[in-house]
Amino acid sequence: MTESELAPAEGRAAQKRLVVDARGSWCPGPLMELVRVIQEEPAGTEFELLSSDEGSRKDIPMWLEKAGHQLVEMTPESGFDRYVVRKTHD
Amino acid sequence: MSKQVVIVGGGIGGTTVANRIRRALEPEVASGQVQIQLVDRDGVHAYQPGYLMVVFEKMRPEETRRDERDLLHKSIQLVKAEVEKVDTGANKVVLKGGRELAYDVLVLASGSVIHPELTPGFVEGAHSFYDLANAQKLRSALHAFNGGKIVVSVAGMPYKCPVAPLEVTFMLDDYLRGRGLRDKTELHYTYPIPKVFGIDTVAQPMQRLMGERGVTVHVPFNVDKIDPATKTVKGVEGETIPFDLLIAIPPHRGADFLAASGLGDKGNWIPTDRYSLKAEGKENVFVVGDATNIPISKAGSTADYEAEVVTQNVAALVRGEAPTARYEGRVYCWIMTGLSQATYIKFDYLHPPHPPTPSFAHYWNKVVYNRTYWDLTARALF
Repeated sequence: MTESELAPAEGRAAQKRLVVDARGSWCPGPLMELVRVIQEEPAGTEFELLSSDEGSRKDIPMWLEKAGHQLVEMTPESGFDRYVVRKTHD
Repeated sequence: MSKQVVIVGGGIGGTTVANRIRRALEPEVASGQVQIQLVDRDGVHAYQPGYLMVVFEKMRPEETRRDERDLLHKSIQLVKAEVEKVDTGANKVVLKGGRELAYDVLVLASGSVIHPELTPGFVEGAHSFYDLANAQKLRSALHAFNGGKIVVSVAGMPYKCPVAPLEVTFMLDDYLRGRGLRDKTELHYTYPIPKVFGIDTVAQPMQRLMGERGVTVHVPFNVDKIDPATKTVKGVEGETIPFDLLIAIPPHRGADFLAASGLGDKGNWIPTDRYSLKAEGKENVFVVGDATNIPISKAGSTADYEAEVVTQNVAALVRGEAPTARYEGRVYCWIMTGLSQATYIKFDYLHPPHPPTPSFAHYWNKVVYNRTYWDLTARALF
């Protein structure tokens, strides 16, 4: 997991963004990695999760909706997908 | 002056990598140009995959233990001590009591440590099988069990052997049928995400099997706390499940000395390059097994495959060559689907697993591996 500071958007303080490279994470799987890091970080943190598991396209939005966190964007890349997720509450 | 290779940790990863490095550098070690030292807390080697087998009386407790000295080649020095910290700036390992070991190349194989106390009520209210004493306690509890409600839960991530909750559930089902207790027992399985395992190729056949075995599934369920008085486990999603016997996977963290060394992340896992297996930013520090932050199985098989790569890279560094070996994410793990049947998952970074139909033959392969582990993997004789 790597960390970067996002440039502050208008009217918003700089946010921490953590990059979780879960490509090739078949066991326990990208969603398990996301659940783990979300539990470790405070509300407001953004996560950029990279997943090569096609099942993530269904699992990640479903879990985020259930857990009440936000899927900011999902971008297909070459051989993997990039999910930007915001933790909205502790 | 001889070059020093120091390995921290005498588990699967540390032991096999020490023996493999010795063999890869045989002329240099024999002539005294290279010295290999392995630091281990107590000098007792534990075969942790055996604990689940102990629960169901398929291995005896003493079969999961060997003297580390007997597993290491005689030219490898075993240092029985706890590590205080690693000073990567000065290339030395500081042991409790003050002794220091200088190194030219360091391999961190310090594993993972279970922390049941991080989940409220775990110690008082839950059974587990992640250490030998608790595996034996669970074995006794099952022996005394005469029916009721058994719940299997995961109380923290990451945890060793991601398939273990599946295995204990299927083995319990078989065990209870054998004792004539299955129709008197409700078996419940919880998992932190909306399916019974992390990826579909494994989750789908496993969920089908749970349906066939009459296992009730609760997903997603992230353990918040366990109440030993009311015998309930509460999930952060709001559901509370009562139990007569709870089997839970305890939270895990990396070794404590990593925090003192500035080498660990929040969970004390070491940021590690997923291909070279170097600790990030350190040219002469490699990481093997559970200690890495790589998002793949914390399992003996992972450590075993990683050890092949680290051995090549350590040998190259010692010889003044470029460490070019790459770990491609290979893992091979059996999944027990009953007391005498199993399947397996085999994968790497690019290829997901596709477990075959469970069979006695796959189970038998696991039994054979359990017996041959000491020579095959720990001593790395083959």
